[in-house]
Amino acid sequence: MSMLDREKEMTTQLHQTTYLSRIRFARTGSIAYVGHLDMMRAFERAIRRTDLPLLHSQGYNPRPMLVFALPIGVGIHTTDDYVDIAMSRPVEPREVIDALASKLPPDLSVLSVQSLPESVGSIMAAVTTASYVLEAPGIVEASERLFGHNEVVVDKQSKGKTRSLDIRPLIHRVRPCDASDPDRVEIVVSAGSKENLRPDLFLAALVMCEAYPVLASKNAKITRTGLFSGTYPDIKRFSEE
Amino acid sequence: MSVENPARYTGGEFGTVIKEEVLRQIETDGYTDTVRFAFCFPDIYEIGMSNLALHILYHVLNEQENVWCERSFSPWKDMDQLMRDKSVPLFSLETFTPLCDFDIVGFTLQYELCFTNVLQMLDLGRIPLRASDRKEEDPIIVAGGPVVYNVEPMAPFFDLIMIGEGEEMIVEFTNLVHERKASLARGDKFSREELLQRASRIAGIYVPSFYDVAYSDTGVITSILPNRPGVSQTITKRIIKDMDSVSFPHQTIVPNVKAVHDRAYLELFRGCIRGCRFCQAGYIYRPVREKTPETLCAQAVALEKNTGYDEMGMLSLSTSDYRQLDELTDQLLSAFDGHHTSLSLPSLRVDSFSLELMEKVSSIRKSGLTFAPEAGTQRLRDVINKGISEEDILTSLELAFSGGWNTVKLYFMLGLPTETDEDVTGIADLVRKIETLYFDVGRRNNVKMRKPEITVSTSMFIPKPFTPFQWERQASAEELSAKQMLLRERLRSRNIKYIWHDLETSVWEGVIARGDRRLADVLEAGYRRGFIFDSWDDCFQLAGWLEVLHEKGLEETFYLARQREESEILPWEHISICVDKSFLLREKHLAYQGSTTPTCREECTGCGAATFGGGVCYEHA
Repeated sequence: MSMLDREKEMTTQLHQTTYLSRIRFARTGSIAYVGHLDMMRAFERAIRRTDLPLLHSQGYNPRPMLVFALPIGVGIHTTDDYVDIAMSRPVEPREVIDALASKLPPDLSVLSVQSLPESVGSIMAAVTTASYVLEAPGIVEASERLFGHNEVVVDKQSKGKTRSLDIRPLIHRVRPCDASDPDRVEIVVSAGSKENLRPDLFLAALVMCEAYPVLASKNAKITRTGLFSGTYPDIKRFSEE
Repeated sequence: MSVENPARYTGGEFGTVIKEEVLRQIETDGYTDTVRFAFCFPDIYEIGMSNLALHILYHVLNEQENVWCERSFSPWKDMDQLMRDKSVPLFSLETFTPLCDFDIVGFTLQYELCFTNVLQMLDLGRIPLRASDRKEEDPIIVAGGPVVYNVEPMAPFFDLIMIGEGEEMIVEFTNLVHERKASLARGDKFSREELLQRASRIAGIYVPSFYDVAYSDTGVITSILPNRPGVSQTITKRIIKDMDSVSFPHQTIVPNVKAVHDRAYLELFRGCIRGCRFCQAGYIYRPVREKTPETLCAQAVALEKNTGYDEMGMLSLSTSDYRQLDELTDQLLSAFDGHHTSLSLPSLRVDSFSLELMEKVSSIRKSGLTFAPEAGTQRLRDVINKGISEEDILTSLELAFSGGWNTVKLYFMLGLPTETDEDVTGIADLVRKIETLYFDVGRRNNVKMRKPEITVSTSMFIPKPFTPFQWERQASAEELSAKQMLLRERLRSRNIKYIWHDLETSVWEGVIARGDRRLADVLEAGYRRGFIFDSWDDCFQLAGWLEVLHEKGLEETFYLARQREESEILPWEHISICVDKSFLLREKHLAYQGSTTPTCREECTGCGAATFGGGVCYEHA
């Protein structure tokens, strides 16, 4: 089932009394090396280990009702991510935090929890923008140069086909994390179901357009540091909503 | 990331045991008095983490105050290359400690074709491959698992072997290693040799270097003799007598990446009452010992809660022989009510098929049905003592088809002793009858049937040690290929899918399964040539292996094409499973007569396993 199907399923069931909690979480260390589906499963199982009244979808193959804000690739760390969970009774944020405290894999951690009104829209549809920190030798300079172009055309592979794509409109901001550090850059890019720039494609663009070393791009450490709604520059971090 | 599935190598799963006090001790003193055990599975992570023995022994060891058990798996070829290129030693997933820094490195051997992966792990772990090359301070290399009942081809690579069920024996052994560690820390003498001598006095422990094997000119063994005073002539396997009181994990490690079997497991019983003559497991795990439904239910409730799995597998060699299966499934289903947790059964015998049971098991998710008639004619099924009639098969399937199932998998073996072309075509005849039956059921019930999916799978019969067929010759690849072709012709139908097992791996597995110590040189040479992951069809190279075998002056025909004399000393002669050789011989002769032997519950036929003093042998007492 695709993420969007899952989301639809959740909305169609909203006529039941459904209580949503938004979990803000981080993943660092070993769990960063699993794919998105594996991480979803890790979350589902963690919640199943608690007594939280998690709702399941109806139908032939009932699934726990979890919606993640934005899929995350293998190897990418995150310090600001979100999953909405649907429960059959209201649960205080504190209770969710306590319940999950000892039930998650060691490198997955809950940062905060927020109860949401039933009327809230899907977080997956609301995500427009993400920020990432990329760490690799000399990456600040290369990224700033790339950002200086009016057009950044890259080959993007999807479903076995290669097509050319100008990713420049998807890059909103590039700046060093620290003025004295040439190896850490923060990028703010489009994200979500409408337009999305994966950080690995940004790195590929550095290789293609700026002759950035392939090995350095492959070994770059990627951390997602923020997810936002709104239109750049008028964007808002979900945790500040 | 340049390796496939990097999460195989990162650890960090829920349920992993980290002994913080040991870590602190190592950090401050550079030493710990705790015994550090590396539990190694010589295949990739996803396969190893699906193995119940790993979870049981990890739990049993970590329950001990004086032991910390960590895990390590075979790195896949990409990672293997990377580790060699970068000089990174093979490490444990818990603390990334190189294998050579452990006190004990233990392997579980689940199938013969993993042997060179053991060498890969030792080599990458910076441990000398041969026991005779290891120094006083090197880790002790041990092995256990179903394959160690004939571990001779690997004998020179292990310091000691644990034969049988490990829960008690492994703790007796780690206590001994703890004692040695403490002695050495005090500055006392406690040599490796002394450790092995004392370990060899623990029931079930076999120290291969304490035995000398002599061969005749033809390569047949002339003697297997202890080479030290006080070493016993035979090593008898260990069993757990009381399955209800033996330690079982209420919490297992839950992998972050999908394992091959992605579910929690219950172990209903050990052993099998059936005595199918081709099946090694049916003999080596004797006698049958069950857990009570109360024990199982308590374990299931805890496991489901603690792991978060949504599926509970009910494991054993023949799950439908569990005497209280109905009560157990009812209890589990009511315990899991509303949890969206399903039950699964690994296999069912056709004669005990119950629609009601299948409905319960798949009440949440329907899966296909799997049956293993093993042979196509009644004559051959009697020879192998697979006590199933054609009527049993058809009656069960009629029930299943009426109940709405349209997916059936059928398992058969080719190359069984006494098999003729008639037996092979008998498989096709039976499958055709099943196909016809499917549509007949629809006609009779006046329902339009979907297209059935009948999958027929054949594997090759490989004679295994400790079975009545241990003396048999193995059919050659040519013979087996002809049988496959014959069957393929007869099974052409859009409703039937025929899957056959790779012939080449069967040849090599056959050599190793009944192999002797002379094969150790072959295995090492093959490993040096880069032969690893032999159980993976796309990695396995038969031609390469045969070349190495011939280079070492050995012939595959010696191991495969020879009917062994009943008086021949077999490579595993010094190992005892307490099923008497005279019983196996009697079974062999009954097989030739096409006479069947009753199950352990119908009648005791005196195999010898009663000497263990428990289980099915005493159910009526």
